Amino acid sequence: MQPALELRNLRKTFGATVAVEGMDLVVPRGALYGVIGPNGAGKTTCIRMIMSILFPDSGELSVLGRRSALEAKDRIGYLPEERGVYRKMKVGAFLIYMAELKGLAAEDAAARVPRLLQEIGLPGIEGKRCEDLSKGMLQRVQFLAAVIHQPDLLILDEPFSGQDPVSVRVLREHILGEHRRGATVLLSTHVMAHAEEMCQHVVMIHQGRKVLDEAMAGLRRQFDPRIIYFEPLDENATASSLDETATASSLDAHATASGLAANATASSLSAVIGVERVESLDGSYRITLIPGTDPAGMMPRLAAAVAPARIELARLRLEDVFVRIVTEGSRSQVASEALRASVTAGAEGVLA
Amino acid sequence: MKQSLRRIGLVARREFMAAVMNKGFVIGLLLMPAIIGLLIAVFPLVSSRNVPAVRGEVAVVDPTGQVAGALRTALTAEAITARRRDSAMRALQNTPAVVRDAATSPTAIARTVGAAPALTILERTASADLQREKQWLTEPVAAGGLRHLALIVVQPNAVIASAPAEYGSYELFIPENIDDRLETELYDAIRESLVAARIRAHNLNRNEVEAVMRVRRAASVTVAAGAERQTNVAFNRMLPFVFAGLLVFGVTIGGQTLLTQTVEEKSNRVIEVLLSAVSPIELMAGKILGQMAVSMLVLAIYIGLGLVTLMSFAMLGLLDPLLIVYLIVFFLISYLLFAAVFSAVGAAVNEMREAQSLMTPVMLLLMAPWMFATVIGREPNSAFSVALSFIPPVNTFAMMIRLGSATPPPIWQVLVTMVVGLAAACAVTWFAAKVFKVGLLMHGKAPDMATLMRWAREA
Repeated sequence: MQPALELRNLRKTFGATVAVEGMDLVVPRGALYGVIGPNGAGKTTCIRMIMSILFPDSGELSVLGRRSALEAKDRIGYLPEERGVYRKMKVGAFLIYMAELKGLAAEDAAARVPRLLQEIGLPGIEGKRCEDLSKGMLQRVQFLAAVIHQPDLLILDEPFSGQDPVSVRVLREHILGEHRRGATVLLSTHVMAHAEEMCQHVVMIHQGRKVLDEAMAGLRRQFDPRIIYFEPLDENATASSLDETATASSLDAHATASGLAANATASSLSAVIGVERVESLDGSYRITLIPGTDPAGMMPRLAAAVAPARIELARLRLEDVFVRIVTEGSRSQVASEALRASVTAGAEGVLA
Repeated sequence: MKQSLRRIGLVARREFMAAVMNKGFVIGLLLMPAIIGLLIAVFPLVSSRNVPAVRGEVAVVDPTGQVAGALRTALTAEAITARRRDSAMRALQNTPAVVRDAATSPTAIARTVGAAPALTILERTASADLQREKQWLTEPVAAGGLRHLALIVVQPNAVIASAPAEYGSYELFIPENIDDRLETELYDAIRESLVAARIRAHNLNRNEVEAVMRVRRAASVTVAAGAERQTNVAFNRMLPFVFAGLLVFGVTIGGQTLLTQTVEEKSNRVIEVLLSAVSPIELMAGKILGQMAVSMLVLAIYIGLGLVTLMSFAMLGLLDPLLIVYLIVFFLISYLLFAAVFSAVGAAVNEMREAQSLMTPVMLLLMAPWMFATVIGREPNSAFSVALSFIPPVNTFAMMIRLGSATPPPIWQVLVTMVVGLAAACAVTWFAAKVFKVGLLMHGKAPDMATLMRWAREA
């Protein structure tokens, strides 16, 4: 079966600015792909080329087996980053209009609208004007406009941007629902946590180039974080940052009874073979393992050293992976932090 | 192809409904006929009723001694009223019988004639100091006193020619802010008085002279194949302008709405949502067709109202039905050309304010026919008029004026106008489509003409 999407060596420039360079991508049918990267990385330009809203300077693409999205528009659902509605139009009329443009008969569309609005938590608003809806409600309506015709390929450009946590949750459920229905989903976001939670596969774009194209499962293996979070059963055990070389000076600085207990805990954890560093985090510890150490094997050993209230292997953070890939080769801490800041910019407050 | 046409149709339908189901549209549609109706109904009332009669003094210096007396008679309220009545009757001569009957009823005539001025004639001596008399015109008048309205100085040879057929005339001095109507009435009265004095001086019989001079103007009869009808001069004179006006109005109303809606779609970011379902060309085509339907509806309503009016005045036979067909054909050509430009400008800018600078030359082109309308109407087959009929985008308007004239152009010229107009419309649409395609997703700095050209090259 042909893939849902195939890009070969796409390039797009705007004047002297190279927006996308050498972009190759294959999205199999039925997959849920995340396209991630900071703002201005080239995600939207890529998506617009896929949608034939922009045309590449060079390279080839196929969408649902066609040479252009123009030939398959009725089978594609698209939620652009810059999305709007006809403010004076009624919600029902707007959705029916969009469905008709996507090839659905008006009667079928009219029958679907109340059910879809009900499912997305907006029952009975067909007769309201779009301008009378809140931003969150409007974004759900816009999402429905993208899926009302049950597309084979659903492309969502920053679907969660500017949404409140409730809307994010509702939308996430519906995106996953579309995926379960069998639609191929391509999701672009600069909030990498969303991709971590939802996607089977992620594609990272940085400065117009693809820097990663990997299944989440493979990523978890490849970019094992070697971090274990440990909360001791003894609540009095606290300590400042410790490591094997700094342990003595830290113990001197906190010569209290609880401090001594905490330092004893940190020392016990540091003493476990395979531990590289132990840092205190307000009542718990962040333990970094020596590269090559098996985290699964370490957890019982740590539990044996100090009785745990909670012990947990840190989840993979795409943000860390992205920063690590992009700054690979240059060990500049400043560059790394600047990049991390650009990745997380705008993400705060939108995470559910 | 079928899907594409379906999408164009859907966009067109939405555009049409969005425009027509709008309160502003209904108000706009009814506004013009309402204003015209109001003016027709109210203007005679407000212009004639309760206008206080002008009261004042007119000084006359008459070295001939033969004019002032006649002038005194000619400027009596009765004489002025009689002249006003004659003038109104002459103006109504060519109007339809229904209008004439209504306008010449005693009440209507009394309203049209209004209150005649009450003028007092002050005769000055022949040796009066002209400078002093002029100063008299500017002297302040006490409250309730008579205004100093004019100084008439009759030349010595105004009645008896100083050389064979070399008559003198007169000088008229007036203060600032004198009514046009009073000034005209003074001219008429002086002319009448001078002629009367000259006739007396030559011992002629005035009645005979007037009888000799009087030739009744016959109402011409238009002879058409198999029929004759009374020529209506006013109708013939107005018809070309009415049709050209309808053409400009139809194009403007559709084009302006197209511009506004495209700018709105772009500014509220609905464009990209639409582009996920339709191509830019389908979108542009749908929008142009939708607004074309709106303009056609407006034209149909106005033409319908016009036809009903003609029918009610039993004047329908004066209108050549082919003119309406030409109006529709030329409207379609002109609309396509201007609508493409309007939509491209709408796609290129971010807000209406930015559209103004790009729209100025377009609006000038749209208004250009009015600058030439009188010239073309007066000489519809002059070289200038013929040349304008072949130069887009004014060609359709020029041809419409010519077609409405009493001497319509040959059919080959009409066909050339159509072909040239259509070719220009296609070329402009091709260019506009390229700008539309690129401009839709462009935000930021407002583009200038050079930018639009670059977009068209890049698209």
